[in-house]
Amino acid sequence: MNATEKIKDTLAKRFSALADAIQMPRERRLALTVPFADFPAVFDYAVKELKFSHLITITGLDEPEVFGLIYHLAHDNGVVLNLRTSVDKKNPTVKTVTSYFPGAEIYERELVDLFGVKVEGLQAGNRYPLTDEWPVGEYPLRKDWKADKQEKHHA
Amino acid sequence: MSIITRTVTWARIKSPWILHFNTGACNACDIEIIAALTPRYDLERFGVQLKATPRHADILVCSGPVTRQIESRLKRIYEQMASPKFVVAVGTCACGGGVFNGCYNVKGGIDQVLPVSAYIPGCPASPKAIMDGVVKLLNSLKE
Amino acid sequence: MHDSPKFKIPLGPQHPALKEPASFSVALKGEKILGVEIRLGYNHRGIEKACEDRTYTQDIYLIERVCGICSHSHSTCFIQAVEELAGLAVPKRALYMRTLIGELERIHSHLLWLGVAGHEIGFDTLLMYTWRDREVVMDLLAELTGNRVNYGINTIGGVRRDITPAQIKKTLKAMDILEERTKYYIEVASQETTLIERLSGIGVVLPEDALRLDAVGPTARASGIARDVRRDDPYAAYGDISFDVITDNHNDVYGRTLVRVKELLESYKIVRQVVEKMEAGPITVKAPRKIPAGEAISRYEAPRGEDAHYVKSNGTEKPERVKVRAPTLANVQVVKHMLKDRYLADMSIVIAAIDPCFSCTDRSIEINNLDNKKTKVITWETLHTQGIAWHRKHGIDFTSLNKRLKARIK
Repeated sequence: MNATEKIKDTLAKRFSALADAIQMPRERRLALTVPFADFPAVFDYAVKELKFSHLITITGLDEPEVFGLIYHLAHDNGVVLNLRTSVDKKNPTVKTVTSYFPGAEIYERELVDLFGVKVEGLQAGNRYPLTDEWPVGEYPLRKDWKADKQEKHHA
Repeated sequence: MSIITRTVTWARIKSPWILHFNTGACNACDIEIIAALTPRYDLERFGVQLKATPRHADILVCSGPVTRQIESRLKRIYEQMASPKFVVAVGTCACGGGVFNGCYNVKGGIDQVLPVSAYIPGCPASPKAIMDGVVKLLNSLKE
Repeated sequence: MHDSPKFKIPLGPQHPALKEPASFSVALKGEKILGVEIRLGYNHRGIEKACEDRTYTQDIYLIERVCGICSHSHSTCFIQAVEELAGLAVPKRALYMRTLIGELERIHSHLLWLGVAGHEIGFDTLLMYTWRDREVVMDLLAELTGNRVNYGINTIGGVRRDITPAQIKKTLKAMDILEERTKYYIEVASQETTLIERLSGIGVVLPEDALRLDAVGPTARASGIARDVRRDDPYAAYGDISFDVITDNHNDVYGRTLVRVKELLESYKIVRQVVEKMEAGPITVKAPRKIPAGEAISRYEAPRGEDAHYVKSNGTEKPERVKVRAPTLANVQVVKHMLKDRYLADMSIVIAAIDPCFSCTDRSIEINNLDNKKTKVITWETLHTQGIAWHRKHGIDFTSLNKRLKARIK
C-alpha cells in the first residue's frame, strides 16, 4: 500500500460515514467532499492527526445554490488532500482556519473580495485583492458578474 | 549596427533622465528595461540615466497594463515631473493592454491614463527594441 | 446581488484627496520596526476570471504572463492540470524539454535575484557580474524557444519545439561557463566578510515558524525545511533525475543567498542529465479541444517556491474555474514575521530576499513613527538609499569591494 492509500485508509476508518466519498484520482491525490457541519472535525483531523502540515491555498467556486470551498492540504510526503465543503449562498459564512494556518488569511480575503463569502474570526486588516474604491456588492468571480467590455475610458 | 552610428548625434542632445514605473506588469518588460542598462546593451552610453524620483526625470518609462490600483499613483508621478516630460510605453501591455485586455481590473494601455510619446511593442520588449525606441524618441525631440 | 448583467466600473478622474494605499505600512519605534502591514493587489489583473472566458489554449498565453520571470513555471503548472483532466500521456521527450526549459528559467531567475540583492545592499558590481552571466542563459533560451522571456514552449499534450544536437552542444557549453562563474559567486558569498555581515542575522525565520507560516521555496529551505515539489511531488522528468534539495541552517537572508547560489549548481547538474538522458521520440500528443469534466491540482517548484494551479473542467473548450497560487503569495506573509523588531535599514533586503514576484521598486512605504506620532510616505528608492547609508554608518560599506571586483570584470 503506498502512502496515498495508507492515508485514504486511515481517514476512512476514522470517518466511516464518509469512507465511500474519498476519491483517489491518482497517486498523491485525494479528494473528499464533506457536508459543512462535518468540515471542522475532518479538517482538524487531517491537520492534527494525519499531519497535513501545509495549506497550499483555498479555492472558491460559484456553483448553483452554494459556494464550493476547497482547502488544498499537502503532506510532507507529497500527498495532496483536496478537502471540499460548501456553504449556502443565502448565508455564505465560514469560520477562519488561521488558527491552524496563519497564512490562510490571504486566501480567505480572496474569498471575501471575489465571492462575497463572510469569514468569521478573520482579524481586521487590508482587503485583498481589490481596491478600497471597489463598489460594495460586486463580486467579480461570481458566475453572473461580467465587466462591461464596452467601457469607454477617459484620460 | 545603425544604433551605434547614431551615437554621435545623441551627444548633442541633452542626456535624458528616465524614471521606470511598473503599472501592473508581469515583470518581463521590467527585467528587459534593466537589462538594457547593463553592460551588454548599455543604454547609458546614449546618455540615458535611470533616476529614482519623478522630479528629476524627463522621460517616464512605463511597463504593464494599468490596473485600477495603480492608476492614481501613475497620475501622481506624472504630475510630479517637470515639463517638458514624455511617456514611453514599453511592452504590448503598456501599448494597449496586451493579453490582459478585457480583464476586469485592467484599464488598458498607458494611454488610457497619460499621453504617450513612444510605443515600444513586444512581449516582452527586448532590450534592443527598448534602446531603439528610446533613441527614436530622442531623435524626434531633436527636431 | 444586482440585476444588471453588466457592471460598469466607475470611471472618471480620481478625486485628488483620495489617498492611494501604501504598499507597506510600518510602525516604527526608534530605528526598529514594531510591525508591518502589507497591502497587495496593485498588479491584480483579473486573470482567473479571464481564463473562464477563453479556451484552454488561449489561457496558456495568459497564464504564462502571471509572472514574466517564471512564466514557464506557470505555463507548465497549468498545462499539467489540463493534461491530467484530459487523461493525456505526454511523450517523455516533451517532459524532458519542459524540465530543461524549467531549469534554464531557474538559472536566469536566481542570477537575476543575485544581482537584485546585490543592488539592494549597495553591492552593485554583483549586479553587473550576474546580469552579464545571465545573458548566457538568456541567449540559450532565445535560441531554444524563440524568445528571451515568455517562451511559449508548451502546448497541451507536449511542447512546440524540439532541441537539435547542435543546440545540445551549446547547452552543455553554457552550463560549463556558468558553473565556473557560479563557483566564483560561492567564493564571494562564503569569503567576503562585508557581504556575510550585511546579510547575516536579518530576516530570521526559525524552522518551526517557517513551517507554521507555510513558507515555500528557497525561503523555507534556508530555514532547514526540505520542501521541494520536484522531489516531494515529482512532475515532468524529475522522477528520472538525480539532484539534491538544497537546505541551509542559517535561517536568515544569508542562508537564502547560499541556497539560491547552490541551487544554481544543482540546476547545471540537472540540465546535463536531461540532455544526456533525452531519448528520441515525439514531442507532442494530440489533445482534445474539449476537456472532459473533472478537477485537478498541479504543483510546480518555481524558482521562488511552490506554484499551484487548480483547474476545474466542464466538458467544454473553456475551463469552469482556474485558481492560481503563486509562491510569493505564500512567502509574503512570512515577511511580517521577518521584519518584527528589526531595523528599518534592513527592510528592503529582507523583502528582496523572498524574491518577491512583484515589482517592489515603485511601491510606497508609509512610516508611522510611534515616537513623534508623525506619518510620512517614502518611496522604495528612499528606503533603499537610507538602508545603505545606515549600514555605512555602522561599518558595512561595499565601496572597496565594488572597486576591487569592478577591476576584474571583463
